[in-house]
Amino acid sequence: MSGLAHQAYLRTRLAIMSENLLGREKLHKLSTLSLEELAKHTGFDKYQGPDPTARLAAFERAQMQIWLDELSALLRPLEGPARRLLTQWASRYELLDIKALVRGKIGQLPNEEIERSLFKLPGFLSLNLDELLNTDTVPELLRHLLKTRYRSLAVQALRRYEENPDPFLLDATLDQQFYSNLINWAQRLEGHDRTETLNMIGRFVDRHNLVWSLRYRYNYRLQTSEVLYLAIDGGRVLNRAKLQQILQMDTLEEALGKLPSNILRSGEMPREITNIEYAMRNDLFEYAEGAMRRSPSILTSVLAYLLLRRGEIKKVYAIVHARVNGLSDSILEEALNPLEDIAA
Amino acid sequence: MILAGQDMRHITIKLMRDDLPRASLVMAELEAFAPDQRPLLETELPEIPGEDFRSRIRRAWGHLDRLVTLIGELPPQDTETPVLVLQTEQLIEIDQWLANAWKQCVPCDEELHRIDEDFRELDQLKKSLEEFADLDVNLSWLQGEHEHLDMRIGSVPVENIPRLREVLALSNHLILNVAGDGDTRRILIAGRREDAAILDSVLQAAAFKPVNIPASFDQHPDRVRDELARRRQILEQRSSELHGMMTNWRSSNYRQLLRARQLLEAAEPYSNVRGAARSRGVLAVLQGWVPASRLGEVEAKLQKSLRLPFVLESREPRSDERHLVPVPVRERGLLKPFSKLVEQYGVPRFGEFDPTILFAVTFVGMFGMMFGDIGHGAIIVLTGLVLRRKIRSFTYLFVLAGASSMLFGWLYGSIFGYEHWIEPLWLAPMSDPIYMLTVALGWGVTFLTVGSGLAITNRLFSGDLAGALFAAGGLFSLIFYMALLGGLVNLVQGGGFPLVATVMIVITLILLISYQWLSSDMPYGERVFTTVIETFEIVNGYISSSLSFLRVAAFSLNHVALALAVFTLANTMGTIGYWITLVIGNIFIIVLEGLIVAIQTLRLEYYEGFSRYFYGDGTPFRPLRVGRSQNSTIN
Repeated sequence: MSGLAHQAYLRTRLAIMSENLLGREKLHKLSTLSLEELAKHTGFDKYQGPDPTARLAAFERAQMQIWLDELSALLRPLEGPARRLLTQWASRYELLDIKALVRGKIGQLPNEEIERSLFKLPGFLSLNLDELLNTDTVPELLRHLLKTRYRSLAVQALRRYEENPDPFLLDATLDQQFYSNLINWAQRLEGHDRTETLNMIGRFVDRHNLVWSLRYRYNYRLQTSEVLYLAIDGGRVLNRAKLQQILQMDTLEEALGKLPSNILRSGEMPREITNIEYAMRNDLFEYAEGAMRRSPSILTSVLAYLLLRRGEIKKVYAIVHARVNGLSDSILEEALNPLEDIAA
Repeated sequence: MILAGQDMRHITIKLMRDDLPRASLVMAELEAFAPDQRPLLETELPEIPGEDFRSRIRRAWGHLDRLVTLIGELPPQDTETPVLVLQTEQLIEIDQWLANAWKQCVPCDEELHRIDEDFRELDQLKKSLEEFADLDVNLSWLQGEHEHLDMRIGSVPVENIPRLREVLALSNHLILNVAGDGDTRRILIAGRREDAAILDSVLQAAAFKPVNIPASFDQHPDRVRDELARRRQILEQRSSELHGMMTNWRSSNYRQLLRARQLLEAAEPYSNVRGAARSRGVLAVLQGWVPASRLGEVEAKLQKSLRLPFVLESREPRSDERHLVPVPVRERGLLKPFSKLVEQYGVPRFGEFDPTILFAVTFVGMFGMMFGDIGHGAIIVLTGLVLRRKIRSFTYLFVLAGASSMLFGWLYGSIFGYEHWIEPLWLAPMSDPIYMLTVALGWGVTFLTVGSGLAITNRLFSGDLAGALFAAGGLFSLIFYMALLGGLVNLVQGGGFPLVATVMIVITLILLISYQWLSSDMPYGERVFTTVIETFEIVNGYISSSLSFLRVAAFSLNHVALALAVFTLANTMGTIGYWITLVIGNIFIIVLEGLIVAIQTLRLEYYEGFSRYFYGDGTPFRPLRVGRSQNSTIN
């Protein structure tokens, strides 16, 4: 297929797939249904069995599989950096698995328990989870990772782990690697695809940098320079110098006063880090909705769709999970839309 | 017609749960049973026995593998050693023994890794000091806090350097020197002493590893060298002590290690049957596929080995499970290289037409037609024969392709590009290119028609009536193709486009569109989109595939044109130059054009042939075996 044919194919596919998105109203409606109705609407009723945890795990995996299948369909006409960018996007699940493995090994959990928390990865991702699972210690696990495409990550993690066996540094390294690779591939794109995709990824990075830098600095009490080192390059509004100005403040309150005015497209920035995270996520999703429909770059529209879809899939899972575990409507509503509570 | 894997039977062994490990082992020893993992009896027998067994085995193997990596390979198992049936209690014992063994050895393993790291650090230090050898400073000053300066020397992962440089600049530090290769770089950092406190945390985050320079180091190179040699000696001594300890450990635990491996290998078949074994209480079932010719042998061996009663039931594969039946690999002889190329595309499904013979004949034929030259063909034959030890079964492919090339060379009257040495038995391609193109097109139409015929037959055999009638390569698309072709031929011959052809085209198109529409359960928009695209694909597929075969003629013309180019170039040279150009030109033609023609032929086979009629989604028959060969293949 030619470039134009790719565009036409992807635009059509995307227009059709975007009908799968539920939107806020439908999601809210789902959260008000009884477990029985909810199971029918979401397909959870297909997962039968006596153990609710196993049912939920199977449902979550199936939901993830839907997302990966859609990603694979959108991946089909793409080639070169655009294809690599989307594949890298999917490799987020590999990183989540590595995080789960490391946490499990640090917590000395039994393999069966760690295994239950792992995503079953599709063919185009290459990590051999069985081999990693079979290791006894974190250094051993990391030494196995040396033989995979996560070698550079393993080299760093091994060095850091010797000094300080705290998983947060490893998490930060994994996130850094993920976003750096994403940005690397985006920088190899051309024209609208390059500018629009970098803009979109810049927003992810801003959200990630702001939330985690505030946490590291004001909750974990890390040094400013260390937090700056852990920040990811490629933010749209928050570059390292701006982050430094923010993080040099003694309190979270003062730091929030230093935030650039354009960090949120609309609305006030909340005062607690958890709510800041929700506000930034909502802002990103609003931007993604616009980008999916109007971006001149089809690749950005595809990324926006995948972001929105994954966000919705996670929410649907959260609703089902809450219902299965018998959480009340108010707790569920608060978990799904914490900012509305504050506004009220 | 040659159909793949005709004699397979599905078997169900109903037995007592306690006999499952033994039955698995018996089947593995026979190498005639491929487990069927489908949950066929899930309702009646909800349990999959051996989950705990499997996870213990996996863990035990994990420990044994790591021990072997540390203490060295164990000798291969004696084939005379009888295979044992591993009981659960024994497995627990072995698992615990191996876990304890690994626990004993792990400090040693960790220390050896640390020593490796220390060796690397020592190398880094040596190189760093060599770099600073020309400076007139005490080398120990390169590290630690001074009156005004804070200096650090060490290594960091290479990709961290840009970010570290940026962040250090914010805290008034500089990276003064970067050197080294591989994953890490040696760096020298310097900054103001009052800013030193904040440096440690950044360096830790950057995975910085300081190089340890003792305070006694000064600028005397001999003392530095001596100190480094002393440190290396200490490391080597410790490493050798640790290896000695491991050798002793291996000697004193040798028998237990061999026994552990033997028992784990014996347990593999039971571990690998997975979902093919199901149970409820004391009753169990083992199901899978066995070649019909070996059913008697299987039953007899089970009678002899199982201690408790059992029932063996067998049946022919049902039509809905034909695509799941494993297909045994057959001895191929001359066809072996062709069968390997077929397998590159896919394994024939059970009961499907095995395309190997057709592929071999058409591949060799098309290669010869595109590369027809007696001389070049002879060279290909000779190359195959000379390289027979290296290329093994592919010798046949070289010989047959070369012979076909020679045959067509004779038909074209071409020897090493000389078109006038012998009379063509048929015609020289350049004498009538249009005729050659027409022949190629005719060959393409025949190839596609045969392909569609096979596709229809394969689908009918698989019980896919709708696919046989309506899908790409099905009956109606074939009728559409024939009508279009007949109409066009008539049109070219001046007879206009016949009404009957038009009617057939319209009817078949309506049928194809209707089928696409009805078989889709997507939302309205996507349904329209896929119906249009899929129907267009079917129509366009036949046209483009037919034209694709023009390359068969194009390459035969290209072959002559290339030879002409070589002659033209050679004629501009003197006698020696003439012959050198001729030889090099012919080598160029054989290697480069030969390779391109082979790829193009393969492309025609795969894309115009296999994609039309060959499912290629069969499962190769991988029987359960004793030992550890198929952990990753049975899922």
